Amino acid sequence: MTKHFIIIILLGVLLAVFTVAMQDIEVLYNTALKSYLIEGVIPRGFVETGSRNLVTAILLDYRLFDSLFEAGILLIAVSGIIWISKHDIEEKNAQFMYDKYKTPDLFVTFSRLVYPLMLTFGFYVIVNGHLSPGGGFQGGAIVASAILILYYIDHDKETNIGLIVTVEKFLYIAILLFASLSIFTRGTYFTNVFPPTASPDVQAIYLVILNIMIGFKVALGLWAIFTAFLKEGR
Amino acid sequence: MLNVTMIELTAYALQVLLIILAIAIVVHRNNGTIIILITSFSLVTASLYIINKAPDVAIAEVAIGSAIIPLIYVISISRQREFIVLDKAMDDFIISDNQFTGVGYILLKRFTDLYHLELNITNDARLCSLGAGRDQLLCEQTNVDLIITKDEETNTYILKGKKSSVLLQKLDSMAKDYDNIEVVQFKDRDFGD
Repeated sequence: MTKHFIIIILLGVLLAVFTVAMQDIEVLYNTALKSYLIEGVIPRGFVETGSRNLVTAILLDYRLFDSLFEAGILLIAVSGIIWISKHDIEEKNAQFMYDKYKTPDLFVTFSRLVYPLMLTFGFYVIVNGHLSPGGGFQGGAIVASAILILYYIDHDKETNIGLIVTVEKFLYIAILLFASLSIFTRGTYFTNVFPPTASPDVQAIYLVILNIMIGFKVALGLWAIFTAFLKEGR
Repeated sequence: MLNVTMIELTAYALQVLLIILAIAIVVHRNNGTIIILITSFSLVTASLYIINKAPDVAIAEVAIGSAIIPLIYVISISRQREFIVLDKAMDDFIISDNQFTGVGYILLKRFTDLYHLELNITNDARLCSLGAGRDQLLCEQTNVDLIITKDEETNTYILKGKKSSVLLQKLDSMAKDYDNIEVVQFKDRDFGD
């Protein structure tokens, strides 16, 4: 019981520190960040990047360099998990006598109904990332959780985890190359491919393509993590 | 005016709920309940993000926090509670008359009920095809806890498992009542990696 009290007190201290730190953040947010947003992004964002969703404008155009490294961090995490769960003996996808009795039938039937809807919603969030809330990362996570439902429907599903990670790696390289294409048209790395004089509708093509690539990369990464966990137990 | 205060009131209520949920996650002991609490924690966080006008972050929070992370937790916990037995003998030791009424099954069931574990018996062809010399490697590298083999000459069943497992010593004392069951414990080996 004393252990719990110590943990609760530590949590209280953390909360107090967080509140003190938040006061400084509020000053920063009200002066520096707000002036950057009000004077820079909000009036010129749509014309410069072609994105009605200004969060996507920052993520995929103004601060694309940061986003690329975020995508890289997921790749490194996936590689680490795969490396930890590596075994010498080929023991993947063992068939258990009991496994098929574990999941209730109601859950399996309901999963079959929900699966296509989830997949469609995920693709919608990815493709519509520059118009509505969402984007590559969020849509990729939704697509990944739709794929994970498949493992409850079909227990004997075989997955080649090496192929998933390989495709993800090459997709990441493709994202890097596609983001660097702007050196030929605009003269700087990691911004929109189309020249600044192009209309917002044309510039949106670049955002859609980049969103789709990032979405597939994130979906593959989360799928690989889940498969590694699933196989580790078997 | 009323709308603004209502939203603020909801935000305060949700923040209080968040603190209660966080304390409950720390204090609670049942694993299944903790997963549900973590899921509701991220749902409340997502609604707070929406109140603070960050729908992009809210979608990511819902997708990761209440779909993928609970699934990973459920799988990890359900795997940990299993006692996985690899049946290489494949005769009436486990299944007799197409039902789980064999001698070995009753012994193992009694043993796993004692420790509140879930008995999971597999006869995976790829694992069974490995030679007897690799049984120890199989126990160390995979999650198989126990291997059942049959000695054809003396007609005894041999249960093999890791020595470091405390459970195996209990199983050894339980199996003393049976004449044709023998428990073998592998010696501990230093791991190279």
